[in-house]
Amino acid sequence: MTSRILVVDDDTALAEMIGIVLRTEGFEPVFCADGATAVEEWRTLHPDLVLLDLMLPGMDGIEICTRIRAESGIPIIMLTARGDTADVVRGLEVGADDYMVKPFNPKELVARIRTRLRPVTPATSEVLRIGDLVVDVDAHEVRRGQTPIPLTPLEFQLLVALAAKPQQVFSREMLLEQVWGYHYKADTRLVNVHVQRLRAKVELDPDAPKIVMTVRGVGYRAGSVG
Amino acid sequence: MIATSATPTTTAAVWRDPRSWPEAAATLWRRSLRFRTITITLLLTTLAIFITSVIMALVIQNNLFESRRDEVLSDALRAVAEAQIRVDSAEVTDDPSGLRALWSDVQDTIPRASSSSRVIAFPIDDTPVGSGVQGFRTDLSADLISPGLRERVVSFPDRQSWQSIAIPMPDGTTAPGIVVGQQLFLPGVGAFEVYIAYDLADSQETLQFVQSTLWAAGFVLIAIVAVISWLVLRLVSKPIIEASETSARLAAGDLDVRLPVHGEDELATLAQSFNAMADSIEAQIKELGELSLVQQRFVSDVSHELRTPLTTIRLAADMLNDQRDQFDATTGRTAELLYTQVQRFETLLSDLLEISRYDAGSVQLELEPTSLAELAEDVIEQMRPLAEERGSELRLVAPGAYSPVEMDPRRVRRVLRNLIGNAIEHGERHPIVVTVDSNQYAVAVGVRDFGLGMRPADAERVFDRFWRADPSRQRTIGGTGLGLSIALGDAQLHGGTLAVWSEFAVGTNFVLTIPRDPDQREGTSPVPLEPQDAIADVGPMTQPIQLTELREIYFDARAEDES
Repeated sequence: MTSRILVVDDDTALAEMIGIVLRTEGFEPVFCADGATAVEEWRTLHPDLVLLDLMLPGMDGIEICTRIRAESGIPIIMLTARGDTADVVRGLEVGADDYMVKPFNPKELVARIRTRLRPVTPATSEVLRIGDLVVDVDAHEVRRGQTPIPLTPLEFQLLVALAAKPQQVFSREMLLEQVWGYHYKADTRLVNVHVQRLRAKVELDPDAPKIVMTVRGVGYRAGSVG
Repeated sequence: MIATSATPTTTAAVWRDPRSWPEAAATLWRRSLRFRTITITLLLTTLAIFITSVIMALVIQNNLFESRRDEVLSDALRAVAEAQIRVDSAEVTDDPSGLRALWSDVQDTIPRASSSSRVIAFPIDDTPVGSGVQGFRTDLSADLISPGLRERVVSFPDRQSWQSIAIPMPDGTTAPGIVVGQQLFLPGVGAFEVYIAYDLADSQETLQFVQSTLWAAGFVLIAIVAVISWLVLRLVSKPIIEASETSARLAAGDLDVRLPVHGEDELATLAQSFNAMADSIEAQIKELGELSLVQQRFVSDVSHELRTPLTTIRLAADMLNDQRDQFDATTGRTAELLYTQVQRFETLLSDLLEISRYDAGSVQLELEPTSLAELAEDVIEQMRPLAEERGSELRLVAPGAYSPVEMDPRRVRRVLRNLIGNAIEHGERHPIVVTVDSNQYAVAVGVRDFGLGMRPADAERVFDRFWRADPSRQRTIGGTGLGLSIALGDAQLHGGTLAVWSEFAVGTNFVLTIPRDPDQREGTSPVPLEPQDAIADVGPMTQPIQLTELREIYFDARAEDES
C-alpha cells in the first residue's frame, strides 16, 4: 500500500521537488498551495501524513495544524524556514509531531516521514498498565476505567514507550530516539512539548502528574500502577 | 566603588564606637553635601557671633564704666563742694573747739552728701599744733590710695583725680571700685586731700547680666541658624537627591522615570531639562529598538525567502548526486560539484544569517544545565572520523567540568566543532589535545594543536570575518570564514571569552571560558591560554583518556567520600 502524503506549500517548485523525492521513494504525493483550502483538501484527500509549511497565504500553518488536530491524530510534519524558538514551539504546541528546518536533504525528509508512518512499537504484552490507565497496544487504545482516551499515534507511542518499561527513567534523548527516530542529538523541545500535550489528555490534574512523572534533571518515567 | 560602600548597619556600629567618630565624620564630610554645608555654616556663624558678642561686651563695659565714673566724679565734686561751702560760710575762728566742731561737721557732711561712706582725708601740710584738726577716715583704708593718686591730688588743687581700685568687702571678697580725690581747704588750718571711694558692684552686676544675655542670645542664634540652614538645605538637596536617584534609575534602564516639576524656579528648570534629556534618550532607544526590529524582520524574511528555493535546489542536487553513476563522467562530476557547492552555499547562508542576528542583537540563548566535559567528549567522538582521515589524533584531557553548568549546548557544541575543525585543518597530523576543566568561577575548554601556528599579527585578526591566515592555502575542510566570528559571538553571549594563543611553527591554542554566573565575570580561566608543554612533552604527558572511565573513577571517589 502506498502512503498518500499531502504537501501543503505555496512554493510550487519546492512542492514539485518534494513530490519527485517522495515518488522516487514510493509515496503518493498530493499537493495544496493555498492555506485557505488546505483543511478542505485534507478532508477530501484522506492523506496518511501532512507536510505543512508554516508560512502560507490564506491561512498560516499553525492555524491549519490546529484545525486538523481538532479532528484527527494524523501525523503532521512542519516545514519551517526558521529554526528559531517561537515558531517551532508554537507549531509543536498546536500538535505537529515533528518539524524540519529548510533547507533539508531528501534522505532526512524520507526518514522522518517513514518514522511517522510506521511507528516502531515495542514488542511487549498486549495490555500495559500505567498509573490508573490501561493501554491496549494491539487495539491502539487507552482507557481510564471504561472511558477511552483519544490520543494521536505519537502520543500513544510516547505513552507505550514509558509504560513498557515502568522501572526505567527515560532521558529526553532516549525518547527522541525511540519515539521520533532521531539517532543524534536533536531538539529536546519536541519531547517537552509533547509530554505536556500528553499530560493534558491523560492526567486528571496536569499540574500534579501521576501518569508521566518528571525525574528532575534526568527525564521522565511511568507513574506507578494504581 | 568598594571604598565608598557604607551600609546602615556599619553606620550604627560607628556611632557606638567613639574611636571611629573622626573617620565617620570624614566619610560624612566627603559624601554628604548637607553635612558639609551645615558644618561650614555653623562654624562661620559661631565665629561671627563670637566676635560680635565680644565687641559688644567690651563696648557696653566701657560705657557702663564711663557713665558710672562721671556720676561718681560729679557726686564727689558735689559732696566736697558742699563741705567747702560749710567751711567757707563758718566763721573763721581761732578757737580750737569751734574748729573741731566745724571739722567734725565736715566729716559728717561728706559721706552724707556723697552716696559713699568710704571717705578718707589727709592734711597736705602738717596741721598747726593745737588746732586739733587731723585727717580722718571712715570705712576706707589708707593703703588703697596709691602714692601716684595722692601726688596728682596734691599737685592739682583745683582738679579731681580718680583711680580704679579693688575694694575689700566685708565678706572678704573684693569689688571693683573708683576712688576720687580732691582738695578741701580749711581756712586757718590748711588744705586736705579728701578721697571718696565708690564701689561698682551694681555696675558689675549689670555688666554680667548684659554679658550673659549676650552669650545666651549668641547660642540661641547659632541654634536658629543651624535649624534654618538645615531646613533650607533640605529644601534644596531633596530635589537634588531625587534627581540623582532618578538619573541612577534611568541609567539602570528604567526609561519611564521622570522628575516632578514644581513651580518655575531653578530646580524646576533642572527637572524640566532632566525630563527633556530622559525623553530624548527614551526616544532614541525606542528608535534603535525599532531599527533592530526592522533588521530582525528583514533577516527573518531573507532567511525565509532564500531558504525555500535553496531547499528545492538542495533536494534536486541531492537527487542528481545520488544518480550520478548513471550519468556520463562529465555530467556526473557536474552533479557532484553542484551537490558539494550547494552544501557550501547553505553553510555560508546560515553562517551569514547567524552573524546578522548577532549584529541585530536578536540572539536568544537557550540555557540548560550541561556538562561541558560530556559535551566535549561527544563532539570529539563526532569529529574523530574526520580527524583520523586527516591523520590527527584527538585527545581529551578532562580534569574537571563534569557537573552541569548553565549554557546553550547547541552553541557551545558549534563552537567546539569549529575549534576542533580548525585544529584538524591546521594540525599538520600532530595530535590535538582538548582540555576541559573548571574552577569556582567558570568552566573552560581549550583546543590545542601543534601544527602551523600563526604570527602574532595574524593571530590578532583571527576573529575577523572572512579572514584567512594564509589566503594561498587550500581550503580543505571548507569553512565559511565566519566560524570563529560566530564562535566569539557565542562566547560573548554566554558572558564568557574566547581567547587565542598562537606561535608560528609551534601551534595554536583556543580557550573558550564560560562563567558559572554570566554577570560574574571575574576570576581566571580554569584552562591556561598559554600552553606549558612543548610538543616533545605532549606525547607522554597527555595520554588519551576515555571520559567514561574517568567518570567512573570520579564518581567512585565521590561515593567513597560520601560514605
